[in-house]
Amino acid sequence: MAHAMTHASVMEPSPEAEPGAGVYNEKLGMWIFLLSEIMFFTALIGSYIILRFAHPEAWAAPGKVLNIPVTAVNTFLLICSSVSMVKAYASIADGNQKMLRLWLVLTVLMGATFVGIQAYEYYHLIEKAFVPSAGLYGSTFYTMTGFHGFHVTMGVICMSFVTWKAFRGRYTAADHRGVEVIGLYWHFVDLVWIILFTIVYLI
Amino acid sequence: MATIAPPVEPAVHALVDDRTFLRKYIFSTDHKIIGIQFLLMSLIFLLIGGILAMMMRWQLGFPGRPMPGGGLLPETMASGAVILPEFYASLVTMHGTFMVFFAIMPLLVGVFGNYLIPLKIGAPDMAFPRLNMASFWLAVPAGLLMIAGFFVEGGHAAAGWTGYAPLSANPEYTGVSAGQQLWCLSLIILGLSSILGAVNYISTVINLRAPGMTWFRMPLSIWSLFITAILVLLAMPILSGALIMLLFDQSLGTHFFLPADGGQPILWQHLFWFFGHPEVYILILPAMGMVSDIISNGARKPIFGYHSMVFAIMSIGFLGWVVWGHHMFQSGMNPTLGTTFMVSTMLISVPSAIKVFNWLGTLWGGSIKFTVPMLHACAFVAMFVIGGLSGVFMASPPLDMYIHDTYFIVAHLHYVLFGGSLFAIFGAITFWYPKMFGRMMSPRLGKLHFFLTFVFYNLVFFPMHQLGLQGHMRRIYDPSTYEFMKPLAGLNRFITISAFLLFASQLLFLVNFIGSWFRGRKAEPNPWDDTGLEWTTPSPPPHGNWAVTPRVYHPPYEFGSGRTAEDFLPQDRKLDTPPAPARAPASR
Amino acid sequence: MEQVAHRKHPNYIGVFIGLAVLTGVELTVAFLPWSKRTLILLLIFLAVWKAVMVALYFMHLKFESNRLRILAIAPLPLAVIMVTAVITEYVW
Repeated sequence: MAHAMTHASVMEPSPEAEPGAGVYNEKLGMWIFLLSEIMFFTALIGSYIILRFAHPEAWAAPGKVLNIPVTAVNTFLLICSSVSMVKAYASIADGNQKMLRLWLVLTVLMGATFVGIQAYEYYHLIEKAFVPSAGLYGSTFYTMTGFHGFHVTMGVICMSFVTWKAFRGRYTAADHRGVEVIGLYWHFVDLVWIILFTIVYLI
Repeated sequence: MATIAPPVEPAVHALVDDRTFLRKYIFSTDHKIIGIQFLLMSLIFLLIGGILAMMMRWQLGFPGRPMPGGGLLPETMASGAVILPEFYASLVTMHGTFMVFFAIMPLLVGVFGNYLIPLKIGAPDMAFPRLNMASFWLAVPAGLLMIAGFFVEGGHAAAGWTGYAPLSANPEYTGVSAGQQLWCLSLIILGLSSILGAVNYISTVINLRAPGMTWFRMPLSIWSLFITAILVLLAMPILSGALIMLLFDQSLGTHFFLPADGGQPILWQHLFWFFGHPEVYILILPAMGMVSDIISNGARKPIFGYHSMVFAIMSIGFLGWVVWGHHMFQSGMNPTLGTTFMVSTMLISVPSAIKVFNWLGTLWGGSIKFTVPMLHACAFVAMFVIGGLSGVFMASPPLDMYIHDTYFIVAHLHYVLFGGSLFAIFGAITFWYPKMFGRMMSPRLGKLHFFLTFVFYNLVFFPMHQLGLQGHMRRIYDPSTYEFMKPLAGLNRFITISAFLLFASQLLFLVNFIGSWFRGRKAEPNPWDDTGLEWTTPSPPPHGNWAVTPRVYHPPYEFGSGRTAEDFLPQDRKLDTPPAPARAPASR
Repeated sequence: MEQVAHRKHPNYIGVFIGLAVLTGVELTVAFLPWSKRTLILLLIFLAVWKAVMVALYFMHLKFESNRLRILAIAPLPLAVIMVTAVITEYVW
């Protein structure tokens, strides 16, 4: 067709629609999904905050029950995985397939390690009889960190799928929507952890 | 490459359809099929919800008397065909649960959100068709889990559709264990289905509008579905979180809402109603939007005050977030907080009133044709006003002290949900049936169904205002155990008999719906002479909706503009083309 | 529509160092002998600062349109309203 050369990039909004959000559909969809996730964590984290105002004495001082050094390392690890994720995105935006794959693999490994360390932490807490039924402290701790961990796990699974596709060469500088979209999810999960680490472990 | 944007070429979509039966009708990604799947599923749940209500009404009208057909129920539900109190509590709970979550919500959002949004904005399908399919196929197991609750030991959930803790959190109080957990699990899954659907609707409306379909050229049905989707997106996750915490209290020994060990029952109420109030706007806004479309069409006049209608929808959506406490005036909540909720609740009646005045303004001086959809739409306006007025009483805490948890509230909620939403649904199904199935529903059956439903519905629910004012409580099993309620027995019986007649009248709708599918008059593309984009494609539309993306030139309700030979101007009609040849007006 | 891809990436490593430093500060602050209220305010301030950095640089909100930025923060007022309203049940 005569106008084939002027076909807009798939990472721009569609030219045959009214101006919308100014971003391609999948990116808009992920942002909108993340808004619902903000509200979901609001329910859990908000309830925790409210319950702490209702019954402050149900919580021990920071570090007395929970293992802050191990979790601090875990926090650092998750932040690192966020960096490797965004480096992966930057690599494919520049067309660098090799670095895309490397950074993605690092992200998956660090994400999986985060979940592993969290499981290790749970195991030791349960041994100390700090369980979900251990009053408000246990109830809120396990629910918030558990659902965050669940979201990380889902992220690791999806990220593995994206990594597999990257190794099959399915992403290019012209179309790396999947990388950007999983990246947004991953950074969000990191962001929630940044909040959680502070208000669950340090306060 | 040119730096100036090239002229937009109309996209030609492949309309070759070589999908298998399974891919075409069962695991379909086509928004129209998914909409119809939701329609069939929801109508089944509407029927179930109605049957549960009939059983409740039997017990209220004839307390302690053996119910016809009661012998079919197991001994755990009805002893000697007499409904047991525990089962009555489940009936109350499950009637509300099925009607709100599995009937009205999917009928408005799942059916019409799916069916209308792409068609009315000129898109070939939703932004994420496979996600759309996932939404439907998540709703199905949710529904099955909810039905399963009737068959587990201990019976089904029995803490009301609002599931207040600690009644819902501790099995000792209701005797129900697995049933309540299934209730939580089912709603969590349904919540995910709804949230994914909302992501789809919002993305589609923002990014997939056809060229020329600017925001303020969108029909009000789409505006309301859009704002509704935003409410679903942000409110359902709160319910999901609360349900998870409740489920953990029930199964893991946590103490979020159980008072022993510091749990806060009132936290459940706050979380539930923070979701619950936007939920009721989810249940009414799409109905209002579709009513606007139908009234404008039936009066052959543009909607009066289109822009103020849009801002009213936005205001309702916005204010709906800060009124939730009005469901909790009698909970022992902080009274000052309660006062702020009183103010915001009274404020929110303003945009609703604006909408009512605009509907009346549309009808005024119109050339009104009382088709079946038009009858339902006009009834909506009248019934919604009644429901809204009773709401104003409830907005005042001192008044609410007297009427809370009485049948006055039951009257209010049924006036807005049945008189409002359900009438709008009946009208909308009739209006868009020809587009969905390529056939017209029978107008005669439709009118008979409307009149019988309208009469019996009012006979059932209007007296409930009186019952409530005289102190008749909600959710009680046997009114005759209270001395002061003995004089109300006659009214209860009257309501029960009217309810049976109301239920029986729905048979007409069922016959019309199913019968017209096979024997209805074949429908042309635009049987209602409407301006919307969906009427520019065949009935039913092909996969992909249009061969060429439509281009929009006009606002949505151009009736009687005088610029065309007919009395309506389709949104995609370019005016320098010759008008369509004069033809006999479609018989209604 | 832009022809050239956004070639210049933000300084991701710089942001990473900032996040690591802030985390270190948080860990120090949490155990300082100040009043509980001061500690809480300080820690929340630090956490929010980190979260905003992730949102602006890693999620690229700094480089997106106003429309998308407003969309992204839209639920936050709702979250604040819900939590503060219910806190008044316990603190007034």
